[in-house]
Amino acid sequence: MQIGFEFPPLEKGEITHTQLVRYAGASGDFNPIHTVVPYAEEVGLDGVIAHGMMIKGFIGHAIGKWCGVENLLRFSTRFRSMTRPGERIVVTGKVVGETADAWQCEAQAANEQGEVKASAKFEVKK
Amino acid sequence: MHLLSALLIFEGKEGIEMNESRKGMRLEPFTFTIEAGKIREFAQALGDDNPDYETGKRIPPTFATVIEFWGSKRPMEDVLQLNMAKVLHAGQEYEYVGAMAVGDQITCEGEVIDAYTRAGMNFVVVENKYKNQRGELVLISRSTIIERS
Repeated sequence: MQIGFEFPPLEKGEITHTQLVRYAGASGDFNPIHTVVPYAEEVGLDGVIAHGMMIKGFIGHAIGKWCGVENLLRFSTRFRSMTRPGERIVVTGKVVGETADAWQCEAQAANEQGEVKASAKFEVKK
Repeated sequence: MHLLSALLIFEGKEGIEMNESRKGMRLEPFTFTIEAGKIREFAQALGDDNPDYETGKRIPPTFATVIEFWGSKRPMEDVLQLNMAKVLHAGQEYEYVGAMAVGDQITCEGEVIDAYTRAGMNFVVVENKYKNQRGELVLISRSTIIERS
């Protein structure tokens, strides 16, 4: 690894309603804005939106492939825009800095049109 | 018209004060036992095929969200009186201080470390500290939550 190194992008495929139901069950986040279309419409979201934490989980999947989860020291994420069923998420990342013991990296999850859903900073042990 | 404006300002101010009063609030502590099946189910829901999650040898980096949602006895939105129809997750930070493993009994203590209002929306920052059965701190989590107006 070195500063400027770009990790291979991870394509996560199309998000489906079923996946949101499955993620709700697995994570225990049953907020109906993620799974119940009439409810999500009623509260002004124009349909269900994916759990932000699922998108962070996608970035976590990429980090595991890139660096190994056992080396992860810190992982912070900002949720930038809403993700809906039918969208396809790609996770990209690169090394941006280093300390004596760690690589400082950035990652983002975006749809195929390049709309950023979540951006992350993470540090891994050298 | 003036009266209406004044009323709106008054209500806005009250809302801000109500949000700021959340600062320092503590969530009810709870304990959650990490099971291999729950790790596998969570990894599958993320479409993460890491074989170490299949066996429970390692834990996905966002697994703390499972501990929080499945472990807590009283949901955060009840304690903090958040309107869930208006709540969005703005940010999530994890510091991996130690390791967690299958069979560990993880106790989580949460506190609101910041609460402020910007652009008419309430922001609440909740910090959770996770300790294992030996009392060792293994994870610190900070969630930033937005309550839309």
